[in-house]
Amino acid sequence: MTDQPVLDVRGLVVRRDDLVAVRGVDIQVRAGQRVGLVGESGAGKSLTALAVMGLLQLGWTTEGQVLHDGVDLTRISDRAFSSRRGRTLSMIFQDPLSALNPTQRVGAQITGVVRRHTEASRDDARAQALELFTQMHLPRPEQMLRAYPHELSGGQRQRVMIAMAMACYPQLIIADEPTTALDVTVQKQVLRLLDAAVQDRGSALLLITHDLSVIAAMCDHVLVMYGGRVVEEGPVREVLRSPRHPYTKGLLESQPTLDNIELEGTARLPSIRGNVPSLHDMPTGCAFRTRCDRATAQCEVVPVLEGDASRAACWHPEPALSQAGRS
Amino acid sequence: MSTAADGMITAGELAGRGPDPAGARRGRRRGQVNTGLVVGLVMTVTFLAIAALSLVWTPADPNAVAPADRLLPFGSPGHLIGTDALGRDIASALMIGARTSIVVAAGAALLGLVLGTVAGLTAASARPFVDETVMRGADILLSIPGVVFALVLAATVGAGVGSTVFALSVFFTPSFTRVVRAAALRVLGEDYVAAAQLYGRNRLFILARHVLPNIFSVLIVQFTLYFAVGILTEAGLSYLGVGVNRPDISWGMLLKEAQETVGVASPLAIWPGLAIVFAVLGLNLLGDGLRDVLDPRLRKRAS
Repeated sequence: MTDQPVLDVRGLVVRRDDLVAVRGVDIQVRAGQRVGLVGESGAGKSLTALAVMGLLQLGWTTEGQVLHDGVDLTRISDRAFSSRRGRTLSMIFQDPLSALNPTQRVGAQITGVVRRHTEASRDDARAQALELFTQMHLPRPEQMLRAYPHELSGGQRQRVMIAMAMACYPQLIIADEPTTALDVTVQKQVLRLLDAAVQDRGSALLLITHDLSVIAAMCDHVLVMYGGRVVEEGPVREVLRSPRHPYTKGLLESQPTLDNIELEGTARLPSIRGNVPSLHDMPTGCAFRTRCDRATAQCEVVPVLEGDASRAACWHPEPALSQAGRS
Repeated sequence: MSTAADGMITAGELAGRGPDPAGARRGRRRGQVNTGLVVGLVMTVTFLAIAALSLVWTPADPNAVAPADRLLPFGSPGHLIGTDALGRDIASALMIGARTSIVVAAGAALLGLVLGTVAGLTAASARPFVDETVMRGADILLSIPGVVFALVLAATVGAGVGSTVFALSVFFTPSFTRVVRAAALRVLGEDYVAAAQLYGRNRLFILARHVLPNIFSVLIVQFTLYFAVGILTEAGLSYLGVGVNRPDISWGMLLKEAQETVGVASPLAIWPGLAIVFAVLGLNLLGDGLRDVLDPRLRKRAS
């Protein structure tokens, strides 16, 4: 693998007037790497993704750099950007219901994407779409191509979306909560297909989710976002096994598992006290300090990411797991 | 005897099917049998058919004066609905009037629809400055009373079908612009538009392929409703004498002529009045029915 990352986000700030939703985020994704971006609603995950793709709604502005292929995407023209989007960069949306045009057959939508970015003829594009649908294990792909989105189930629609995102062998796929809108049973199936598709194409994946179990299954690297900042980052094993930031720890503890349901009977699921602060009254310093048990006066100053194996932005982090415990 | 037996069987079948309210209810919900829509459709088709028929055939020449036959009552031989003060055939005039209503009202609604769609889509998809300019322009146009504008136009350019269509479309365009913009903004917020941008589609493509098909139902509904408004407004203008005049014929103009014989032959005013009610009611029922069936937001709310 080359040293140059396929995506290098540096100091990304996304704001709307004086509302700052993303406050200086750094993300690096190397070729073929799978990076998870996890956090609660309102942590700035989706805005980060939209900013990277240049799809922010009117009124939002960005600062910082988004380097892809050595080009700063925040600086190139729309025309230059749109030739990259969909071809080398691609995105899977959260809600498959609203991500497909209800008035067009799905086949027309996918061949449209293929033809937009390649020289493929109509028949070639159709053959490619058929191939993609087959890879996505869509039943009766021939008929599927002629179906309208409302004739498909949620899982099928999301598979169509993945097929569309994969159509041009992108270097990087951003998946924004790809399974949140799906049934649990379908989630697993869709994740497995996404996994296989990314594997086949050697694409890098930036997976945005609030579900740590999805991150555990899909990613090798994870970034935990809170209040518009990355509060912890590192290899998935390190971070999930020995979280250092109290927020990450709280997130992990509030995951329901069979253990804490069955063994403790009526015990309540632990939760992080309080709510995510709104953008209007984000605390100064560490954004988590109002909900944190360890907060001290020191936390009024923004901590920086520090650490070796995994890095946490906290003045009072959990001690890192002993060297012996690491493989 | 056999006819009676047939009748018995039919009645029995009906009775057998009758006490199945669950099935009936299910049918109504699934099939969405919309009485208003069906009635509106039948009335509108009748109206259009009569107008179409007038192109090839009318009972008599509606402009042929026959003093001897003047003020014939309803049901007179040769003049089904009678004649007016100059002996002109009313049935024929009503048929031609239907045609005029369509040309003027549908023409103005269509013109307003096209202009309003272009303006509305532009406003919805352009920068805030352009959006504001277009929408405030629409506000200004809306603040001009349509009838007054038509009066001024008739006084300066002259009355007639052309200037009536123009006045009505100026009146309709801003309303269409608002509706189209609102509907387009909703579609532009959908993920498939973001996805289309993502895949490098330009604005025109997105508007044509994604936005327009998805607001089509809104356009159809608005068109039928403004068609009805157009008929009413045209009738009003012609009644004031600034719309259509002989040898062209419109229902409003017939009302104006009938006014002169109120008291002598009052029914003369009823026929064009009934024609207007029939056409407008049919179009409104059709428009409301179409909205219920086509608008996905209303459908969602209902279920």
